Amino acid sequence: MGEFRYSNIEREMEVYGYDSFVKSHCRMCHGGCGVIVYVKDGKVAKIAGDPDCPIAHGTLCTKGLASAQLAYHPDRLSYPIKRLGPKASDQWERISWDEALDTIAERILTYKEKYGPESVVFGYGTGRENEAVIYRIANILGSPNVLTAGHFCYGPRISTSIITCGTNPIADYENFPKCIMMWGNNVTISNPDEYKGEPFSVALDKGAKLIVVDPRLTRPAARANVWLQLRPGTDAALALGMLNVIVKEELYDKEFVEKYTHGWEPFVKRVNEYPLDRVEEITWVPKEKIREAARLFATTKPAAIQWGVAIEQQINCADNDRLLMFLMGITGNIDAPGGQVLKRTPNVVNVGQFGAHGMLTKDQFAKRLGGERFRLASRFAIIQPKCVWDAILEEKPYPVKMLFFISSNPVLTRANAKEVYRALERVEFMAVADFFITPTAELADIVLPAATWLEMDYVGDFWKRHGYILPRRKVIQVGECRSDHEMLNDLAHRIGQGQYWWDNFEKALDHILHPMNITWKDFNKMNYIRGEVKYYKYKESGFSTPTRKFELYSTILEKMDYDPLPQYRESPESPVSAPELYKEYPYILITGARQPGFFHTENRQIGRLRELHRDPIVEIHPDAAAKEGIKENDWVIIETCRGRVRQRAKLTLGCDPRIVAAEHAWWFPEKKDPGHGWYESNINILIDNALEGCDPAMGASNIRTLLCRIYPEKKEGGSHE
Amino acid sequence: MNKYALIIEEFACWGCKTCEVACKQEFNPIDAENGIKYLSVWGDGPKLMNGKLDFIWRVNVCKHCDNPPCAQVCPVEAIMKREDGIVVLDSVKCTGCQLCIDECPYHAISFDDEKKIAAKCNLCHHRVDKGLYPACADNICLAHCIYFGDPSEIEQKILEKRKLRGGWGEIIPKVLVNSRG
Repeated sequence: MGEFRYSNIEREMEVYGYDSFVKSHCRMCHGGCGVIVYVKDGKVAKIAGDPDCPIAHGTLCTKGLASAQLAYHPDRLSYPIKRLGPKASDQWERISWDEALDTIAERILTYKEKYGPESVVFGYGTGRENEAVIYRIANILGSPNVLTAGHFCYGPRISTSIITCGTNPIADYENFPKCIMMWGNNVTISNPDEYKGEPFSVALDKGAKLIVVDPRLTRPAARANVWLQLRPGTDAALALGMLNVIVKEELYDKEFVEKYTHGWEPFVKRVNEYPLDRVEEITWVPKEKIREAARLFATTKPAAIQWGVAIEQQINCADNDRLLMFLMGITGNIDAPGGQVLKRTPNVVNVGQFGAHGMLTKDQFAKRLGGERFRLASRFAIIQPKCVWDAILEEKPYPVKMLFFISSNPVLTRANAKEVYRALERVEFMAVADFFITPTAELADIVLPAATWLEMDYVGDFWKRHGYILPRRKVIQVGECRSDHEMLNDLAHRIGQGQYWWDNFEKALDHILHPMNITWKDFNKMNYIRGEVKYYKYKESGFSTPTRKFELYSTILEKMDYDPLPQYRESPESPVSAPELYKEYPYILITGARQPGFFHTENRQIGRLRELHRDPIVEIHPDAAAKEGIKENDWVIIETCRGRVRQRAKLTLGCDPRIVAAEHAWWFPEKKDPGHGWYESNINILIDNALEGCDPAMGASNIRTLLCRIYPEKKEGGSHE
Repeated sequence: MNKYALIIEEFACWGCKTCEVACKQEFNPIDAENGIKYLSVWGDGPKLMNGKLDFIWRVNVCKHCDNPPCAQVCPVEAIMKREDGIVVLDSVKCTGCQLCIDECPYHAISFDDEKKIAAKCNLCHHRVDKGLYPACADNICLAHCIYFGDPSEIEQKILEKRKLRGGWGEIIPKVLVNSRG
């Protein structure tokens, strides 16, 4: 077997006759995995994993492997277009980049002049390594409004970790945790920021014990030593219950607590309000199991928590994040090898600096939409989407006249999709940059063709907090597509920001790297750069917080007039908080379980990926299905008090009979009408976006826990089978 | 003569389906239709096992049987077991009679509607013969649960992993996709 070697580049080249290969860094999700791209006749011929990559060690996912099918997709937009007819009329005309960018620039300057720069809202969707350029152009323009997923995805982890312990604590798989608690997450299928499934899987193979907190039976839950099948939306109560056990049984790290935490006494008082009897009643999890999990986590060293977005898309968003950090902290796992490490990024111009947040004036900062309400979010430059829709539709507190969405499809991904659609129909001018003409792009005035990761040079992962940067290298050019970075660099010159930008974007990469005295060309020759690896840094210098301590009692939240201690709030729409509604809508609806091949709204037109998962699926327990007359594979209607959508039923014992679990972000690119079926199965049509139901600190929309009814679709209702 | 086997430790599989797409990439040009599925990942369960709810991913692919019934039934000898253990279906010889499809106890042979012939995993023998791992086994799997090589060495590796896991996996049938030369 000596002759076999993983990713044998020389032999692949020889056997298949490839002309060349390029090592690069995939970005089909947030980024992270090193890849080898083989090229023949100037086109990508094959994608393989790069075993030298320190993050995924050569392993890949379905999306990475199918990247070339995205790049060369026949429906892909490959030149700028402008709309001719009314919105969503699908009448477009090809235009030049100059015309497209000049038109956008002219609109930005006009609205700035007439309504103030805050009337121009830039936006992106999930993290695609374009955050820094988008914030840069907005901040220099003077617009405090960049609309992202940050209110309920990763932004809360960043915001709450900075105020608690200085930075985002990263599960340290390379030092093999002995216990892993996977909380509302399945890293083997999903794409949580910072993480890949491979190191988690390897840590389990090294013998780590596994605790899984999830209302659904995932494969990790089936493999777990302890599976806590909680009532959706009760994570905060469960975490408080576990902390209660750890405090009562004195399983915490006494030295850490005494020397390095702030607010232990009030924290204990708060935790005492959550005895296990109460927690069992709230969460449906038997108290013996909560105790077992708490003991296992607190007494197995080192231990790490694999967390993700699910806990953030709830009314308890910020407190959920903080509570999980408290579990990491008081058990002594913060900054411990194999625990949760506060990693150091390489010495580069970081995203905050590159994003030019310092250039936004105080006056403009004060105008940030929703800033007075969601004060923690606002401090971290995050806004709540509904505040933007309201500013468009009601012109309150001031009019928003222009949207520029870059890699974002809010018609599918933001709560209350019908309101989103109305706002996008109403807004005076909208530009979109994307790979395809999505349901959101159909409402745009101008659509710009965005480059995939195969078509750009970039300092990959420099926004993440796992401590690595890796070169993403341009392999191909498709049509006139440009990277988000290049198009914004060009646009910035056209709106008078030239002095803060570069002649070409390679010089921006040089700028990012300059603190290390290297250029892009130098970095291009390297595999990766890693920041300094150091543990227990707090013992020397404390934590980067106002008290220099790990803040159980947040002095920053206190100043912002929030409860400085975490608490459990009942979801605004639950059997407990809305018993009358529950009589009419007798199931708890959870949303958003991830599927291989898709990344939110993406990839439903990629043959090899869509083949893996053809239809939107709603999971329902066989007993509930029998009661509602639903059979396997039936198209069913899921209905809340706000609307109805159709998905296909899958009967499973992995769901509590009181719960149904629907998928998110579905549209149907194969439908050629301009709506592309955005209203058919789009779960966000069912979801409320009232600000009262959002997390008070971050503005996270409560999209994961609702009340619904479910029933078979009537035959005459049509079917797209 | 080397003996080759493809062994998938299903206990470790996370259902990410990367192997399915790696297989597709190997056999279909980028701009082609999806083509035949040689390998498929499917969810077994959730179901009650010994009072506990269990759920496992299964990977179905040609098992390259010791005495392949598909080869015995083929009227034109299009299916041959090689000395190294790989069972190859020769697409040139195949007449599309589909007897092998009915005969395979694992439902691991498909019918290619376009070419009107049977199709199955040939264990990437075109790669193996050049010293390259089969596409699905070339380190793409995040669970590292797809093994290619000498079957006894692989079984040893899996046993060592089980020991490290503290016995995890023993409640699951031992080798789930196994081929022996």
